Amino acid sequence: MRDRRHPMFERNMLMKVFGYIFIAFWAVYLMMLGFMCYQMFDGGGHEAFDMVDGGMIFILALDFFLRFAMQETPAQDIKPYKLSPIPIRFLLNVFLVRMGLRIYNFFWFFFLVPFALFAVVKFYGIIGLLSYLLGWWFLFVINSYWYLLCRTFVNRNVYFILLPIAIYALLIYFGIFSEPAWLFDACVWIGRLFVTCNPLMYLLFFALAIPLFLINRKLQYHSIYTEISSTERAVKVKPLEMHALERFGEVGEYLKLEIKSTMRNSVIRKQFLTGFYCMLLFCLLFAFTDIYDAMPFMRIYICVYCFSCLGVMTLTVIMCAEGNYIDGLMVRKENILSLLKAKYYFNCALMLVPLLISLFPIFKEKMTIIDALGCMFFTSGVVMPFLFQLAAYNDSTIHLNQRITKSGRSTKVQMIFSSIALFLPMLIMYTLMNFWGERTAALIMMAMGLLGTILHPLWLRNIYNRFMNHRHQIMDGFRNSR
Amino acid sequence: MNITIENLTKHFGDKTALDIDRYDIHSGDIIGLLGNNGAGKTTLFRILLDLLHADSGTATIHGKLDDGTYVSYNTAQSEDWKHYTGAFVDTGFLIEYLTPEEYFSFIAKVNGISSETLAERLKPFDSFMNGEVVGRNILIRNLSMGNQQKVGIIGAMLSHPRVLILDEPFNFLDPSSQLAMKYLLESYNKETEATIIVSSHNLAHTFDICTRATLLEHGRILMDYNKDYASLTSDIEKYFKGNAF
Repeated sequence: MRDRRHPMFERNMLMKVFGYIFIAFWAVYLMMLGFMCYQMFDGGGHEAFDMVDGGMIFILALDFFLRFAMQETPAQDIKPYKLSPIPIRFLLNVFLVRMGLRIYNFFWFFFLVPFALFAVVKFYGIIGLLSYLLGWWFLFVINSYWYLLCRTFVNRNVYFILLPIAIYALLIYFGIFSEPAWLFDACVWIGRLFVTCNPLMYLLFFALAIPLFLINRKLQYHSIYTEISSTERAVKVKPLEMHALERFGEVGEYLKLEIKSTMRNSVIRKQFLTGFYCMLLFCLLFAFTDIYDAMPFMRIYICVYCFSCLGVMTLTVIMCAEGNYIDGLMVRKENILSLLKAKYYFNCALMLVPLLISLFPIFKEKMTIIDALGCMFFTSGVVMPFLFQLAAYNDSTIHLNQRITKSGRSTKVQMIFSSIALFLPMLIMYTLMNFWGERTAALIMMAMGLLGTILHPLWLRNIYNRFMNHRHQIMDGFRNSR
Repeated sequence: MNITIENLTKHFGDKTALDIDRYDIHSGDIIGLLGNNGAGKTTLFRILLDLLHADSGTATIHGKLDDGTYVSYNTAQSEDWKHYTGAFVDTGFLIEYLTPEEYFSFIAKVNGISSETLAERLKPFDSFMNGEVVGRNILIRNLSMGNQQKVGIIGAMLSHPRVLILDEPFNFLDPSSQLAMKYLLESYNKETEATIIVSSHNLAHTFDICTRATLLEHGRILMDYNKDYASLTSDIEKYFKGNAF
C-alpha cells in the first residue's frame, strides 16, 4: 500500500513500461543464460548442476552487490511507526521477515528454473527440481540478511563496503582458484543436498538464517535509535569563498554551489566519494595491472569507463538534490541553464584525474595519448550528453543529509539510463573497432566526442528547454518527494 | 507593477483550490491575503510565480519600468517577469547547505548585485536579524525555523523587486521580529513603491500594514476591501468567528 499510495506511483506510465521492458529483457537474458549453461556443462566430468552449484559464490556475490540498487534497510521503513504503540522489536521482526520474503529473492529463478528443468529433472524428477529451487531460495534469503548487515555498516561509513568485497575476493581466490578448491567442493556438496531433498539443507538454512536474523534485529534496533537521535550538530563551517570561480559569472556561482553541495551534504558526499573511488580503482587497475592488456577492445572500454563511471554514478540523479530548493531556483530567470552548465563543467573538470592517471599507461606504451583523449572526449561529448538528458526526466528529490530516508533509491528510468550509459559505449566501440580497427576507432570516438563537447551549449539549451516544458510536472514531483 | 488575474482556476482532483474570475492588484498596493487553511492562498502564490500549472486562466504582471517602458508578462509564458519579482513561500526557496551570508551572496551574484551594494542592502535588516543570522558561520539548515524564515524573507527582498510575494511571513517569528517585519515591509513599500502581497493568519498584523485585504474561501474571493472601508476589520473578523463557532 505504501508503494501504491506514493505520490510518484501514477507518474510517468511510459517510464514504467520501459521499466517492465527492462526487467523482461533481463528475465529473457537470464533464461537464455540458464539454458546455455546447461548446454555448456552437460556431458562433462561433473553434472551440469554441480558446475553451476560449484560457482554458487559468484552468483551470491553478484546478487549481493545488485541488492545495493534494490534493497533498503528496515530502519528506513520503521521511522513512521516509531510513535505508534506497536513495539519496535515486533516491527523489526515483521520487516525482517518481509525482507526474507521479498519477490527480489526469486529474481535468479529466471536463470535457475530453465537451467534446473534440463539439468535436475532428468535425474531427480520434479521433487528434486522443487527442492533444488527451495535450496537456492534459502541461499538468497541468507544473502539478503547478510546484505542487510553489511548495508547497515555501509550506511554508517562507506568504507565498510570493503568488508564484503574483501570477503568475496578472498573466498573466490582461496576457495576456487587455489588448490584444493575447497569452496567449489563445498558448494557442490550443498547443491547435492538441495537436489536430494536432504533434511540437512533445512538444518543448514536455519543454522545460518536464524543467527543472521537475530544479529540483524539487534543491529537494526540500535541503528534506528542512532539514526533518529543523531542530528547534525550546529557546527560552525568554514566560509568557502572560491573567488577563482567568480570569473565565470553566474555559472561560477553554480560551480560553487556544486562544490559546497558535495562537501556539506552527507548523501551527496557519499555518492560522490563512492563514484570517485570507483573511478580511481578502475584507473589504477587499468594503469598498473595488465589484466586488460590482452584484449584491445576491453582496454579501450575500461579506459572509457575510467572517465565515465563517476558521471554514471552521480549524473543519474542529476537535479534530484536541487529538488530540495527548486522553487528558489525557478523564480530566477534561466537559473537552471546556468546550473546545468556548471554541472557539466564540474564533471568535465573531474575527468582530469583519470587523464592524469592515464599518463602512466601512456608512458608504458600500453596506450596512446589519442586513445586517452578519445576516451575523455567520448565521455564529455557522448556519454555525458546522454546522462544529462535525465535532467528533463528526474522528478524525485533526494534528501541531502538524512540517512534514514530512502535517499539515493534509483527509479526505473535512472536504472535504464545508467545501464545504457554503461553498455552503449561498448556497443559503439565494438562496432567501430570491428569495422575500422583500433586506431581509427579511437579517432572516430574522439571526433564524436569533440563534436558533442563543442556543441554543449546547444544540447544543454535543448535539455533546459525540455525541462522548462515539463517544469510543472517536475516541480510537482520534487515537492511530493521532499 | 500591477498584477492581473483572469479566469484562474486550479483543481486538485475534485477539490477546487482556486477559482478567480478577475483580480487586479495595483502598483504600490500592499495586499493582505487572508483565509483559513486550504483557502487557496499558497496555491495562488505558486501560480503567480509559475511554480504550479493553472488549469485555466492567466496571471499577468505588467506596468511601467523606471525608463518608462511599459511591459506585460504572462507569468506562465515568459521568464522576464522574474527580474522584477522576489518571493519567499517556504523552505523550498532556501539552499540549506549554505550559510546565510553565502546565500545572500549567491542571490546577489545571480541578480548582478555587487558585494558593496549587497552590504548596503543588508544594513536595514540588522535589527530584524538581531545578531542571530549572519556572522555565525552556521548552515541555514541548522538555524531555527524563525531564523530560516528571516533568511528567506531577506533573500526575497535583496534584489529590490517591484513585486514582493511573501507567504505567511510572520510565522515562526518572535514578537520583536514580527514588529520589525511590519516596519520593513511598510518602509520598503514607501521607498520603492513595490507591490507587496502577503498572506497571513495574523489579522492584526495584516490590518496594520495592508492597504487592501482579500479574503479567500475554497479558492474564491469572498471579500476584497480597501483599508479605508469602514467595516473592513469587523467584517473579516465576523467571518472567522462564524467559521470558528
